[in-house]
Amino acid sequence: MAVDNQARSTLINGGGPSFQKERIKLRLMSKSRLAIRLTMLALAILTVVGFLTFDYRDVHLLKGIMSTFANFKTIFAQPQLAHFSLSEAIYQLLVTLSLGVLTTLIGAIIALFLGIFAAENLSNKKVSNVIKGFVALIRAVPTVLWVLIFAVSAGLGSVAAVIGMSFHSISYLTKAYSESFEELDAGTIEALEGCGASWWQIVCQAVLPSSLTSLISWTFIRFEINFGVSVAMGAAAGAGGIGYDMFMDSAFYYNLHEMGVITYLILVVAMLLEFMSLKIKNKVRS
Amino acid sequence: MKTLLQFKNVSKHYDKKTVALSDVSFSVNEGELVSIIGPSGAGKSTLLRCINRLIDATSGEIIFEDKDVLQIKNKSKMRALRTKIGMIFQNYNLVERLSVFENVLHGRLGYKSALVGALGFYSEEEKQQAIKILQSLGLDEQIYKRCDQLSGGQKQRVGIARALIQEPRVLLADEPIASLDPSSSKVIMDQLKKICSTLGITVLVNLHQLDVALNYSDRVIGISKGRVVYDGDPASLTDDHIQQIYGSDREALNLVVREPKEVAQKI
Repeated sequence: MAVDNQARSTLINGGGPSFQKERIKLRLMSKSRLAIRLTMLALAILTVVGFLTFDYRDVHLLKGIMSTFANFKTIFAQPQLAHFSLSEAIYQLLVTLSLGVLTTLIGAIIALFLGIFAAENLSNKKVSNVIKGFVALIRAVPTVLWVLIFAVSAGLGSVAAVIGMSFHSISYLTKAYSESFEELDAGTIEALEGCGASWWQIVCQAVLPSSLTSLISWTFIRFEINFGVSVAMGAAAGAGGIGYDMFMDSAFYYNLHEMGVITYLILVVAMLLEFMSLKIKNKVRS
Repeated sequence: MKTLLQFKNVSKHYDKKTVALSDVSFSVNEGELVSIIGPSGAGKSTLLRCINRLIDATSGEIIFEDKDVLQIKNKSKMRALRTKIGMIFQNYNLVERLSVFENVLHGRLGYKSALVGALGFYSEEEKQQAIKILQSLGLDEQIYKRCDQLSGGQKQRVGIARALIQEPRVLLADEPIASLDPSSSKVIMDQLKKICSTLGITVLVNLHQLDVALNYSDRVIGISKGRVVYDGDPASLTDDHIQQIYGSDREALNLVVREPKEVAQKI
């Protein structure tokens, strides 16, 4: 090949002097990559420093781990009921479950409308930004805090839990739904507009059918979250249900055997939910 | 022949710098098949979309059925206009998760009240009409199939069916064969020709393929940088015109296809 060195250096670095010895970089070092590297480095240093400067007091690390495992063994290997019967436990579980269903349902219905208006391809930019900003603000505060905030007016208990959890579900699902709507191909909307279809017709005939699977899967994910939160709310906000029993066992009776039963019950429900969501999704898809 | 559609000094600016169309004037007679050719970014798609107001032209007049479509402000009048104009697209733009049947019936939405259409209620006559159109396009076996199971050529035929059930006066086709293989392309172009000659529907079609445009159309409009540079018979399109439209002559265009190696070496 009769390509002289001058031409080659023109190709590689735009006419500057040739640096033939330097290795060719795969990627250019950009600001964001530098930031990511610095962050990773800082986290690594903090972790090492953290472990070195822990104040262990009188707790012996190995002993602590051993006794934790002993507790685990009591919980998972020797579950036993003490203060209530199995049917009572299942009833309480249903209370917790229905708290999850109710808050997800309220959240889903309101979020569906908010999501439509928050989707940039269906609504105007101003409305969309206002709704998105608003729900982002709500989402930034954890669910538990919302429950406690509503407990100021509604009192600690199931009412505050329902309102607080629905509140957070709305904002979470609004974001998820609107993003599913935005995934719809702009051309499809354009085509229906071109047929003379009205806005609501486009929403019902194109947007909703296209995003149905992802709507269902997001709703189920939120339901799983809400079930978990409902358990915690039983303890933290006195919303009742299985969480409250668990709280009593751990903090009042100190009965690890009964906690084991409750843990297994919750595990079974969680697995059932997972199974159900899989089935429903497959059905919708085909 | 009667003039159905007329552009009078139509311009479209996206912002002060980007000009999509400038001072475009031409007219289309009823029952004509008109090809619009030109390089990518010349403004062909914008031109089509100005007709059914998916894009609003900045200035000028677009006369369709003796009325200026740019003057329509009222939403229901806009819907009425759009029902008379069918459109098909390069990417078909169907609702992939719905069946062929439902997608075709979407063409009737413009005639319905918002609620009835949103719920997806269609009359028996409309359903019969849809089946008839699907049969004529050779899709009668696919009626209940979901659109994501179809091939590209079949999807485009569903797109045509959706446009036809609108009972349009004019059919706009935006690069209808750009994503199709040669044999499907031929099927689609033959269908468009048939629609034009048997149903008397005027067809405006954007094309990249010069040979297809020359073979099928009654008239060719050449566009370059937002301006009409040729308007006339496909037969009298000379090398000079092609040079004007694409910025390169017929031989240079062929060269790109036939001898890519030589082109690469030049670069």
